[in-house]
Amino acid sequence: MLVKLREVAHARSGEKGDLSNISVIAYNEEDYEIIKNQVTVEAVRKLYGPITKGDIIRYEVPRIGALNFVLHGILEGGRSRTLAFDESGKALSSLMLTMDIEVSDTYIPRSAKMQALKGAN
Amino acid sequence: MKTIRLGAATGWSRDKFDAAEDLVEHGNIHYLCFDSMSEITMSAAQVSKIEKPNLPGYDPYLESRMTPILKSCHEKGIKIITNSGWLDPVGAAQKVAEIAKKMGLHNLKVAAVSGGILTETIADMGLDFMEHGEPISSCRDKIVSAEVYLGAKGIVEALEAGADIVITTRVGDGCVYLGPLAYEFKWDFSDYDAIAKGMIIGHLMECGAQVSGGYFADPGYKDVPNLHDVGNPIAEVTEDQIFITKNPHKGGVVSTETCKEQLLYEIQDPSHYYLPDVVADLTKVAFKQVEKNRVEVIIDDGAGLPETDTYKALIGLKEGYMAEEMAVFAGPGAMERAELTKTILNESFKKLNLNASEIRMDYLGLNAIHRESSPASGHIPYEVILRVAIKTETKDEAEKLRIAIDPLAVNGPAGTGKWGSIGGSRVRPIIGLNSALVPKKDVPYEVTIIDLKSTITQ
Repeated sequence: MLVKLREVAHARSGEKGDLSNISVIAYNEEDYEIIKNQVTVEAVRKLYGPITKGDIIRYEVPRIGALNFVLHGILEGGRSRTLAFDESGKALSSLMLTMDIEVSDTYIPRSAKMQALKGAN
Repeated sequence: MKTIRLGAATGWSRDKFDAAEDLVEHGNIHYLCFDSMSEITMSAAQVSKIEKPNLPGYDPYLESRMTPILKSCHEKGIKIITNSGWLDPVGAAQKVAEIAKKMGLHNLKVAAVSGGILTETIADMGLDFMEHGEPISSCRDKIVSAEVYLGAKGIVEALEAGADIVITTRVGDGCVYLGPLAYEFKWDFSDYDAIAKGMIIGHLMECGAQVSGGYFADPGYKDVPNLHDVGNPIAEVTEDQIFITKNPHKGGVVSTETCKEQLLYEIQDPSHYYLPDVVADLTKVAFKQVEKNRVEVIIDDGAGLPETDTYKALIGLKEGYMAEEMAVFAGPGAMERAELTKTILNESFKKLNLNASEIRMDYLGLNAIHRESSPASGHIPYEVILRVAIKTETKDEAEKLRIAIDPLAVNGPAGTGKWGSIGGSRVRPIIGLNSALVPKKDVPYEVTIIDLKSTITQ
């Protein structure tokens, strides 16, 4: 079945000059293979391509089940000189979480897990 | 076994401070460390200094932050390490000494670590910008600030000289944590694994609450208890082990998830994180939840790679002006009226011969945040805000945005509301930041100690 990346992983964005980094971290380290196979540079370019002037680079961090994307030229010159409303790109990570991800039909999405946990408490 | 507990007071220059006071009172900490800068801090401080020469060159929050904690820190033996010295760490140290004296604290040493400010010299150092390779000398007239990120050696020297409070100029943010750790555990700066360990701890801690529940909550997915009362993190360090935790009575959460997010925050290649004193390999870091709100940081051998022979410098450049305005709409036809306003403004810009290098018009609520990457909206918004921003060479050109938008109060579409209705100029100068690598051998640092005891006897 298809779920949003938000059900599999969390993300945080940061800035350095005119680039943003967006980490994608599997909630469960055993799901690293899912994000590694599906959250590719091509898939990320589909989302961020229209606002990324430079390269999109992916780094793998298997020890913590994470990927780190670096998007060059996404901040229209960087926080110090950009006309973008979100000048530091801190809100950019949420776009990543809209990506469609294929998981097995028995996969329990994060929101369902959290809901169950709440019920149990 | 020696255990050192470091508390994070703030994550940046304008962070809140109540969490720091809580750490002092209840954190059982040995050091209160704080990063009080962001990338633009030094260039903004240089601009303020040009406009108002009497303003101090250090963090304007220095006094309000030190006043509530100095006495307690002194009584409990908590040492303070901060980069709030900005352009004038010696002035900041003198100010803190003065506050301490007024409080009747006399057995205190305050140190300043200065150096690294290259505003006057960087154009003559034969260096190029990292961004586009142009020589820095070609922008000589535009430079308003230039400073390197110094390392932690000055902090260690200050602590060795007996300092209770160390106030630095720009250092690598994590250095305010590495400094005390290197001093306490007598790490040699050529022991790159140890130095990397200190900087990884520093990196996790430098943004304050970002590792203890801040910048993390996403209801239903990542829930954070009592975020309004979030506690700042504590790093507990021995020669063999590292834990990140927080005061149990405060809000927030310390989990492997918060630690992982912070580990990769503002990182490019995780296997080569370039820092002033070391290159750290973050792919060798793992986390283990050992109890609620207590995470062990596990760092494999070989996480430290030799330092480079350069410091990174930030250079602030005068780059013209920008102006921003908004017009607000609501109810039926809000979108159409916002679009009509956009057309009117574009026509006005033509009439005014606006010479802008960039113009941005977005609809807040639809496409202002993810800009051209925003997904198509499937609904008609009840409210629409048209936001317009322009960038120009001169101040007069930037003023044209106000000239175009203010008349809309009476000649725009029906129900045009206005943001920023106070008159006068709303134009601001742009100080763009570029970076460069500066040979370390050309950038000395200096440690100054103010001993309150000796200033009394003299």
